[in-house]
Amino acid sequence: MLFLASCDKDNPDDPDEPAYKPTLYEIEIPYAFPTKLNIPEDNPMTEEGVTLGRYLFYDGRLSGRTHPDSLMSCATCHIQENNFEPGIDHPDFEGGFVHGLNGQQTHHVVLPLVNLVWNHSGYGWNGGVYKNNDNSNFRNIEDIVRTSVMASDEMNADTNHVKALFQTLDGYPELFYKAFGNQQITFNNIEKAIAQFVRTFVSAEAKIDRYLRGEEQLSQSELNGFILFTTEEGADCFHCHGGFGNPLFTTHLFYNNGKDSIFDDIADRFAITGDIMHKGAYKAPTLRNISLSGPYMHDGRFETLDEVIDFYSHNLVITDQVDPLMHHLLRGGVQLTPNEKADLKAFIATLHDENFLNNPAYSKPEKFPDEP
Amino acid sequence: MLSILLISGCKKTDENAVFGGVSLDVKHELDGEKLNTDALIYTNLAGNRYMVTEIQWFISDIKLIKADGETVGIAKNEAENIFYIDSDIEETWTIASNNPIPSGNYSGIRFTFGIEKESNKSHRFVNPPESFMFWPDYLGGGYHYMKLNGKWINKSGANEPFNFHLGIGQEYFEGEKSGNDFFEFGDRSHYQHCEGYLPPQKLNAVTAFIHNNFSIELPLSFTVIPDENTNIDLVMAIEKWFYGYQTYDHDVWGGAIMQQQEAMDIACRNGVDVFSLRTEK
Repeated sequence: MLFLASCDKDNPDDPDEPAYKPTLYEIEIPYAFPTKLNIPEDNPMTEEGVTLGRYLFYDGRLSGRTHPDSLMSCATCHIQENNFEPGIDHPDFEGGFVHGLNGQQTHHVVLPLVNLVWNHSGYGWNGGVYKNNDNSNFRNIEDIVRTSVMASDEMNADTNHVKALFQTLDGYPELFYKAFGNQQITFNNIEKAIAQFVRTFVSAEAKIDRYLRGEEQLSQSELNGFILFTTEEGADCFHCHGGFGNPLFTTHLFYNNGKDSIFDDIADRFAITGDIMHKGAYKAPTLRNISLSGPYMHDGRFETLDEVIDFYSHNLVITDQVDPLMHHLLRGGVQLTPNEKADLKAFIATLHDENFLNNPAYSKPEKFPDEP
Repeated sequence: MLSILLISGCKKTDENAVFGGVSLDVKHELDGEKLNTDALIYTNLAGNRYMVTEIQWFISDIKLIKADGETVGIAKNEAENIFYIDSDIEETWTIASNNPIPSGNYSGIRFTFGIEKESNKSHRFVNPPESFMFWPDYLGGGYHYMKLNGKWINKSGANEPFNFHLGIGQEYFEGEKSGNDFFEFGDRSHYQHCEGYLPPQKLNAVTAFIHNNFSIELPLSFTVIPDENTNIDLVMAIEKWFYGYQTYDHDVWGGAIMQQQEAMDIACRNGVDVFSLRTEK
């Protein structure tokens, strides 16, 4: 609060405009969620920053272009009703595999934007964007905004063009002033605003949350699935994908889960750590709304949850790099029966959070600041 | 006025006390040397060749024992006297007192491996990495006392993962089921496992939980000097988890023991000889 108060100042360009007085945005901590948030010290969240970030997240001119054929925003690939992923039935991104404005497909499939403010382990499939990175250009969501705008397989844009374009759009300079105390738009502030908005995405109102809070019972099949999920003799999901004690339903950590015998991806966890045992390792994504997250795995090799469950049941591939937590490895997997698979799937469906998918605060604004 | 009273109260209580600090430096050792992770160079007493990838564990209720038998907690209160140790996170390797430690001679240290029953409650820790240690409620709740993960060369010559995880054990209903119980997962007789362990053909309801945490007292003469910090090594000799009370054979117990109370019981009985203290090398 002291920091924010110290930022109060009159608008130098317009003495009649109200002083710069941003309002602190507080993230409410859901039941049993972590209390430690990953918010950089130089980008405290404010109501004004989040509001601006929402416009920018959805504004296709983030590509630095205005022609309808060359618009691209974060929301082009991160679609709210699809768990902020493209969706496997996307009309333009066949099978859920996204490509940038120049047609180049992204190296990995899209990860969901869910509860990212609680991720302290690194962003991306290999965790290459992390808090204490020696390279200060790859530390947090702000940096992902910039790299997404610049990447040839995404917006393929020039950040100078982007900020210059938004400077010309009515309404935006004022919003930047309200958020950051300066009408002069910088790309740094564009990054910050979008990151603030993304940090507000909280999924904590699924059926499983109501069950964990003691408000709603699960069905017998769902309960069976929950027991399978959290037992070593069952499906053994919990060590990587959480449960009652870790309602994020991910550790955000990196595991070789036994998919391959040859590791030739230049962007696996090994690329970040240099540890040979991390070859073929990738982030365990959250399972919240996972039914919408296909295609599955870093390379989107599985189209359906059934394929994923079959893989963990019967089709693990043995290599030295497979994480020790995959202790069913030599038997091919956890060997679930058809009934058990159905129960497990029923439980996973309780992680579906309609409140998140339809939360108006995360939705596209009715109109952009320069629209009448 | 209030502050004056407080100051005078403190002065009276601490009139002759002088304090120092104590730090426990946790050392994960195997066969007398610093643990070499992911190196398949170790052999346990049962003859299993094995490697260790990571160790994550809780130590709690650490008390320093004065020469006169009185004890002093290393933390200000019981709630803070639980510490998470992780072989991958260097900041967890030192347990520093945050409680003024009276100067003088001490004869040893007492602590609990894992977490005592009264304190081992789910959602005690909501933040990682501690929260990642949660122990599923169906299996007793609370937290893993320890995750010791690695691989061993099994008797077929294959490199098999083991999760030597310790926490609350279970007893399962052994009678005939009436047919409409929650936790009946059908026939598991096809399920292959290690020789010596027959997994339940039906995962029956849990009828009892067993708290496997244990407390030990280790002797060491040391002196706490006023305004100075005393460093003590707390050594975990990893190989000792696998012998002592009973030789532990991965080929018998397999890769996962969270639902095998007998295996966890053996491990914890072996565990009382795993730890030692030494003044810093």
